[in-house]
Amino acid sequence: MTDAEALPESFEHVDEATEALVEDTELPRRLKDRIYGAIEENEGATAEEIEEIVKAVVARYEDTRVDALDPVGTVSAQSIGEPGTQLTMNTFHFAGVAEIDVTQGLPRLIELVDARKTPDTPTMTVHLEEEYATDRDKAREVVWQIEATKILALGNVSTNVADMQVTIDLNEETLQKRWPTYDDVGEIAEEIQDTIESELKVATKRKGTTIAFGPEQPSYRELLQLVEELREVVFKGIEEVSRVVIRKEELEDRDEEEFVLYTEGSAFGDVLEIEGVDTSRSTCNNIHEINEELGIEAARETIINETHETLAEQGLDDVNVRHLMLVADIMTNPGTIESIGRHGISGSKDSVLARAAFEVTVNHLLDAAVHGEVDDLDGVIENVIVGKPVSIGTGDVDLRMGSGSAMKSADD
Amino acid sequence: MVDVSQHELVPEHTLLDEPEIEDVLEEYQVKKTNLPKIKRRDPALPKEAEPGDVVRIERDSRTTDTAVVYRLVVQ
Repeated sequence: MTDAEALPESFEHVDEATEALVEDTELPRRLKDRIYGAIEENEGATAEEIEEIVKAVVARYEDTRVDALDPVGTVSAQSIGEPGTQLTMNTFHFAGVAEIDVTQGLPRLIELVDARKTPDTPTMTVHLEEEYATDRDKAREVVWQIEATKILALGNVSTNVADMQVTIDLNEETLQKRWPTYDDVGEIAEEIQDTIESELKVATKRKGTTIAFGPEQPSYRELLQLVEELREVVFKGIEEVSRVVIRKEELEDRDEEEFVLYTEGSAFGDVLEIEGVDTSRSTCNNIHEINEELGIEAARETIINETHETLAEQGLDDVNVRHLMLVADIMTNPGTIESIGRHGISGSKDSVLARAAFEVTVNHLLDAAVHGEVDDLDGVIENVIVGKPVSIGTGDVDLRMGSGSAMKSADD
Repeated sequence: MVDVSQHELVPEHTLLDEPEIEDVLEEYQVKKTNLPKIKRRDPALPKEAEPGDVVRIERDSRTTDTAVVYRLVVQ
């Protein structure tokens, strides 16, 4: 990294000697910049002062680093566990952004570390490409491609029991709004007719925007069943997404506004394919979908973001992000998302005793006996069980005192 | 097809050649199989990656500017 790159903005009161001194330290970029910022704010300092400052920062930084043999996992577990006791145990709804229903608090945290296949309330945040993001009509177009459109949103459905007929009276205005690429309402109605025929496997008759059909043989039961099925048919959009909310938001870096879509239900892969969707910023809250579409590294990021947001939502964001990063690292270590717990991380430990101490003790011991497993007693838990010092912290350091006289006699 | 590497959640993945892998293993004093893994079909992987390769991942870190990690490509 050259110096020109290293300094994002030029500081008036930072001279070359100071810069050389600061850049020479092992401090992370963030701290280096804060030193520059502090000097700038105080409008310069003498060389001695600067040296003092840098020394103090380096000392403090080194002080906060993890020591060798520090039990970081245990510390993380405690650091997330304690605030966890303050999380709401109830699922609160309709908090957060855009009146979309999201699971929060403890249930959400559990869901994340358990790596559930689908979250209780899946949701996506869909950002739009520039030309769609600033134009409400264009944003609407994207919404209609995402939100599942069912028959009740398109018109009236009436059941005539006497004639054994279901009649759909489509609303022309709605059709034109939801299929903006078509000029003729008849074409749209024809497409809907085709969808009904292929989904319900019935013959239909269409006149203008009115579609009628009925069971082959007059049967009261079948007629009602057809209506039932008709209500579930998705004519446009993504089946999983039941609702989309448009929200105007301020851009972080610029003083502009853009439309952002929030969805109830998620199908991340499908949404990324839709034209107008910004594929570099859109996200969803299902870590498995992220893993599938963007890879394990993006899933790791999402785990950190989601756990952090869950804690922050309840005012517990003073949990150091490093703990959450450690959790995410462990969960994504095998290249897939593993849950924390019996079926994931804790269940795949090498030590029999460590696994047995966690859950379903008898099964683990029995299996180990059957397979003739050996426990090397390397970990913490197994050593606690057998009563040996644990190989962590001071427990892993052997101290041998050389006696003065013995050394003397050896010297002699 | 969506270009996954452009997504803000996806850090840069680069394949390492043989001598570079040796350097990494030497630096951390580990065996290849001790590295974190990444699946062969991971969408963020370069197309030519094969099981046994090692990728270098340059994350935008929350705690420093960038953090470099390595993952072993597995089946």
